[in-house]
Amino acid sequence: MPSITAKYGDMCKLLEKEISAEQMRDQLNMLGVETEISGDEMKMDIAHNRPDLLSPEGVVRALKGFLGIKTGPSIYKVAPSNVVIEVDKSTGPIRPFIAAAVVNEVNLTDDIVASLMQVQEKLHASLCRNRKIGSIGVYDFDNVAPPLKYTTVAPEEVKFVPLDSDFELTPKQILEEHSKGIEYDHLLRGLPRYPLLLDSNGGVLSMPPIINSEATRVTPGTKNLFIDVTGTDERATARALNVLVTSLAERGFKIFSVDVKYPNRKITTPNLKPVKTKLSAKNVNDYLGLKLGPAAIARVAKRMRYGVEDVNEKSGALTLLAPIYRTDIMHEVDLIEDIAIGYGYDRLEPELPPVLTIGEPLEIEKTCKRARLALTGLGFMETMGHTLTNPRREFELMRLDGNAVEISNPASEEFTIVRRSLLPSLLSALYENRRHPTPQKLFEIGDVSVLDAEAETGAKNIRKVSAVLIGKDANFTQIKAVAEAVLREINLNCELKVAESPSFLDGRVVELISGDKKIGVAGEINPEVLLGFGLENPVAAFEIDL
Amino acid sequence: MIGSLSVQEKKVLRNLEEKADVAKLAQKSGMDQSAVMRAALSLNERGLITINELKSSIAVLTPEGAVYAREGTPERKMLVALASSGGETVDDVAKRASLPDDQVQIALAWVRRKGWVEFAKRDEKNILAITEKGAAALSKKSSEEELLERLEAGGQDLEWMPQEILPELENLERRGLIEIEDKTTREIELTALGREATAAGVELVEEISDLTSDMIKSWMWRGAKLRRYDVLAPGAPIYPGKSHPQQQVIDELREILLQMGFTEISSRIVESEFWNFDALFQAQDHPAREIHDSLSVSNPEQTKLPPPDIFNKVARAHEKGTAGSTGWGYNFSKQISQRPVLCSQTTAATVRYLASKPKPPVKVFCISRVYRHEKIDYKHLAEFYQCEGIVMDKGLTLRNMHGYLKQIVGKLGLEKIRFRPGYFPYTEPSTEADVYFPDKGEWLEILGAGMFRPELLKPLGINYPVLAWGIGFSRLAMLKLGINDIRELYKNDLDWLQEKRMI
Repeated sequence: MPSITAKYGDMCKLLEKEISAEQMRDQLNMLGVETEISGDEMKMDIAHNRPDLLSPEGVVRALKGFLGIKTGPSIYKVAPSNVVIEVDKSTGPIRPFIAAAVVNEVNLTDDIVASLMQVQEKLHASLCRNRKIGSIGVYDFDNVAPPLKYTTVAPEEVKFVPLDSDFELTPKQILEEHSKGIEYDHLLRGLPRYPLLLDSNGGVLSMPPIINSEATRVTPGTKNLFIDVTGTDERATARALNVLVTSLAERGFKIFSVDVKYPNRKITTPNLKPVKTKLSAKNVNDYLGLKLGPAAIARVAKRMRYGVEDVNEKSGALTLLAPIYRTDIMHEVDLIEDIAIGYGYDRLEPELPPVLTIGEPLEIEKTCKRARLALTGLGFMETMGHTLTNPRREFELMRLDGNAVEISNPASEEFTIVRRSLLPSLLSALYENRRHPTPQKLFEIGDVSVLDAEAETGAKNIRKVSAVLIGKDANFTQIKAVAEAVLREINLNCELKVAESPSFLDGRVVELISGDKKIGVAGEINPEVLLGFGLENPVAAFEIDL
Repeated sequence: MIGSLSVQEKKVLRNLEEKADVAKLAQKSGMDQSAVMRAALSLNERGLITINELKSSIAVLTPEGAVYAREGTPERKMLVALASSGGETVDDVAKRASLPDDQVQIALAWVRRKGWVEFAKRDEKNILAITEKGAAALSKKSSEEELLERLEAGGQDLEWMPQEILPELENLERRGLIEIEDKTTREIELTALGREATAAGVELVEEISDLTSDMIKSWMWRGAKLRRYDVLAPGAPIYPGKSHPQQQVIDELREILLQMGFTEISSRIVESEFWNFDALFQAQDHPAREIHDSLSVSNPEQTKLPPPDIFNKVARAHEKGTAGSTGWGYNFSKQISQRPVLCSQTTAATVRYLASKPKPPVKVFCISRVYRHEKIDYKHLAEFYQCEGIVMDKGLTLRNMHGYLKQIVGKLGLEKIRFRPGYFPYTEPSTEADVYFPDKGEWLEILGAGMFRPELLKPLGINYPVLAWGIGFSRLAMLKLGINDIRELYKNDLDWLQEKRMI
């Protein structure tokens, strides 16, 4: 879950009301924003589906409604700026979409600059899928000469000074040498041409989705902003722009639109008109278990910053205006959750429904329970190992060959495959206890996974039980007796068959056969295996499929 | 006075002529040393004897020293190997001397320090050659080596060692081949009272400690003197075989859920992306599906697709929406659906079950391991348990969801619960529940819940509301077991397993 930081003082200023830190935290929690406040520092966890809350401005906008300071929608006026962006058709196969806006009369305090940088970074990570489908640029508009051109260039066709550099670099050099170029190189790698945003003097604004130019850098003295979002998904570019400019508008800054001329159409961005949505009072009450009338629902909707266009008291149908920044509204249930939040989760009293069912345990768990009782009764202690392991432990140390479920993106070298056997887990547990006096008796009951071409997912789980004995008296006779006791208690009839296994000592190992299927093995562990696991006492072991 | 002594105490007195150390006394009396000490302590209390403690320092071999004493020092092995060849490279001589890798550098350092060999060039190679000193050493063991061999027979008291051997002793100690151990021996000496009391001799009346079957059958036990035990003395503890503590938490939860009428289902370790993500209406380019969050699988390479009816409906829900939803608006990929992944959420199992049982009512739970792309530390595991349940029936509401959460928490013996909005990709509305733990004096977040989205239900043919909840299993288990490091959930240390009380 993404998290953002903010200043408590700045939040109060935006809220236009002084409330205690504790009250702010509690109210935000009830709004679904998990909040920690210490002194002036605030940290808030924002749900993946709410990019509009990725700025303090956005959070306060929601909180104002929740606290009743300002209910109903924020109205965003957009006047034309007369700035035009001409889109070259060469962007088509590379990064075809651009949306832009101008924001005038900004008064950038440190808090606002920090918030602007933060929302840009967080939107890149979430809505923009790490800049893949959208990337945002913010510029000092006074250093930009409209009209603009969004086009592409060959990797070494132009040179400009990118942000945080002292030299002119070509796009190719930026990808190879600049820190942002190296970080996002994978988004342009292999393309014949790179996107570029230019002004009427040929000055470079940015090389999306990598970096802006130093010449258009936003500084504390910046009075007017130009903002663009380029990308591969038109809806995502519009959404990112809308979230960004509406949060700036909450500061009282003025928004102006930009005309985008594609080769075959012309659009004006941003479009901040709310979206009409239907809500049925019956559905609200059915979902939440409440008895709210349409008018009451309308009042709650306003607290959640919706506009209410129409309420039909008779049919219970409401027409709401969803703010444009609410990119998460896909279905009526999304509105219903908002009504629940606005009504107050703490007021949704628990109520058990009369659903009559009879619980049944899994058959396999019943078997496991009996095996567990048998083994603990025999003085064995249960251990629990990881199902993730590595080929050295699973195969090499056990002197075996074979294939196991393999992980393609392991997080550590220790865990690269899924175990097929419990025995290595138990031998590792014995090593963990090498300083503990012998004899020791351990067992594990757990799942393994084996490859199986017939299985739907190409592998299947097998539940196994395995036990080990270590000490001077750990021998075949002992462990065979334990294995047979377990088999007896779980009602599994088995025949013994002389066997050979590189993990065990020749002449001291048997296979357990049920029907004509091999379901287990018991014997004395080969000393080579013992030394591999760092063990210096005899070990006898069995493993059985349950 | 003598009459009130135990047989053991009498034995000690009988065998004590003025004074003797404990080991000798044990040998003489046929008792073991601890029994002698126990008897001596009690005799001391009665003022019959005194116990004198004598401190001494003993030189003993370390494990490394013991190996060298037995097999010869690495430098000796190298010297001998070199002597039979005249001159060779380090690698060759090490090989011929059969020196383990970790001893080659040790050998090299010491043959040089002792001046036994020198380096020379031959055919562009650095070779070792024996010096005169080395040749002399071949026929005579150094005093250090002699000392090692002598110590192999057993530790020696420093007090008895000749003065001239002390430098060698220091050298060997610095090399880590010997250790000086402080040893305390105890000596028992009769006091004046003791001498007086034993002057008339100490007579032994046989006391019987073990009651036998023969004694019982023959009535003999009636005439025998059964020794009185010190029944208040603490004994060594013993421990029963037990379930693993984490398993105990699992079993407790299972029991609670069965009581509440839930049926148990199981999950798969290897799952398809279709059931792990797609069927839960998680967009294929959703950040939670990224490589950094779940563990992808390269063998097996592919999973089988679900029935075409289900597959097509799910694909359509993602692309264009379903049940009045706008959908995600992207191109759904069959290939991504078929990729195998290590199950990252038990919801894969509950949704699979729902798809196979669309008729109400359904009440099932799953307690299984799930897998994440995490490096293990005190807060994170790559595999951990999830406990999840669903209820499907006509007319279920969010308040009913809160009802179930409250009941589960109540069954866990916790009373206070509070609800706030939550977020899960496949539920709407969603709830997060905090539970008050009186022992900690804290509200902790241990439950997440919600109602499955219509975009998830519709393609699977489910026409009724479904409540879904999950317990933060690891957190609950840590609280129940009183541990702060999540890795300890998989701790197999016997001391811990034995000491840890059953929950």
